[in-house]
Amino acid sequence: MLQRYWFGDVDEVGCRAAGTDPAALAERAAALRTGMDSFVPIDWETARDCGVVRTREEYVDLLRSVCTTLARKKIALSYQGRDVELLQMVRMLDELDNVINLLSERAAEWYQVTNPSFSRKYRSLPAKKMLGIIRKGARGGLSDAAEEIDRLAGTRSRLMREVSARADEVMPNTSALIGGLVAARLLSKAGGLPALARMPGSTIQVLGSERALFSHLRGGTPPPKHGIIFQHRRVHNAPKPVRGRVARVLAAKLAIAARLDYYRGEAVPEFLKDAQARIDEAGVEAS
Amino acid sequence: MKWLGNVLVSPGEGGVYGERTLEGYRVWDPYRSKLAALYTLGGGIELTPEIRVLYLGAANGTTASHVADYVETVYAVEFAPRPMQDLLEVARRRRNIIPIMADASRPEEYAPFMEAVDLVYQDVAQPNQVEIAERNLAFLKPGGHLILMLKTRSVDVRRDPAEVLAEARAGLERRLDVADVRWLDPYHQDHAAIVCSRRG
Repeated sequence: MLQRYWFGDVDEVGCRAAGTDPAALAERAAALRTGMDSFVPIDWETARDCGVVRTREEYVDLLRSVCTTLARKKIALSYQGRDVELLQMVRMLDELDNVINLLSERAAEWYQVTNPSFSRKYRSLPAKKMLGIIRKGARGGLSDAAEEIDRLAGTRSRLMREVSARADEVMPNTSALIGGLVAARLLSKAGGLPALARMPGSTIQVLGSERALFSHLRGGTPPPKHGIIFQHRRVHNAPKPVRGRVARVLAAKLAIAARLDYYRGEAVPEFLKDAQARIDEAGVEAS
Repeated sequence: MKWLGNVLVSPGEGGVYGERTLEGYRVWDPYRSKLAALYTLGGGIELTPEIRVLYLGAANGTTASHVADYVETVYAVEFAPRPMQDLLEVARRRRNIIPIMADASRPEEYAPFMEAVDLVYQDVAQPNQVEIAERNLAFLKPGGHLILMLKTRSVDVRRDPAEVLAEARAGLERRLDVADVRWLDPYHQDHAAIVCSRRG
């Protein structure tokens, strides 16, 4: 019975070594397929008798470099997709949001101590304007911090545009339905376009509401109607009685859109038109 | 296994993941590593210098590095690219770790690299953990051992962990002798270790 191993082919008659160059061995090994029913584990001494290595150390060393080469290649391949970077971009964006909010809260608290007449509460004061006031009003560290927060906010807006643009490119159908930013967030939660494309609509519907979902599954609490997709205006603007339905229909269409994005990679106008119409229809309250 | 007082340690070059060292040994923390927890709780299979191990789900290679301190060779299988990058770095500094990037549920992908091993250690977060273990039995010597770290929550969060464990145990008993089953409380919640041996 012929056994194809990483160092060569072995059968009853003898063995044919495949050389000792790690790169060449890796390339050969990548193409090997073994039927598990007839598989016989390697006896490293076969590799020695084959003339590939002389000692156990050499055997392990060579096998290690072959496997390392293969692993490097596979890693590079898995990072190749355009969706992989988008994933990191959107995570950075969400992290920036967090950091900016935390820092501005802290800056406001601090400013309030140095300036008793200042209160943010009960005033509709946008964060950007508030930071401007703090920057001018405060001195030293606080003023510097406010300036940095402002700069971070600028970085955030630029990154947001980048994310949207990249999402439009990587997932045109999904982005068309729900907007680039939310599409990118779905992608990030799913862990990549291949993963998102394999999700059922019902999973996409509750992506981002894992806590509510699992507390529902574990017992008692009502199921979540929507996760990340709530961020889309069609869901959060929908009247309460139909919001669940809108979320469900939208998620179902998103599942199809993600598959189109993954397997076709281009916008499909006919699908989008029908999907939009169907989603709009779901938002109409029964009279 | 090497103990300093009641602290589990392993002999080897430190500084793999910022682990503490004690008298020149690397501390193997039961709160971080499920295998260390198993040993700390008095279970497990003694790791000796001549054995070969197949490690399924090696992740970043922290536990794998401790195993490698004890044994002859570790075949470390990991599927995800991010932890694989870390594992490669660990393997670069430990000459007896063979890093294999493959899916543990598809042993035919890495069979061409495998010799028979004395111990299969499996720690994968998959719902079909028992099935994955079964598929990898082709690499286990008769009389060799399997340590399966059952993450009951990965199998099914809705079901009672004890029930999940009983089912896994029954599944393993089809082809293996189950020697020891224990929960890893208080170190890891809802994780159980199942130690089996292959019929000789």
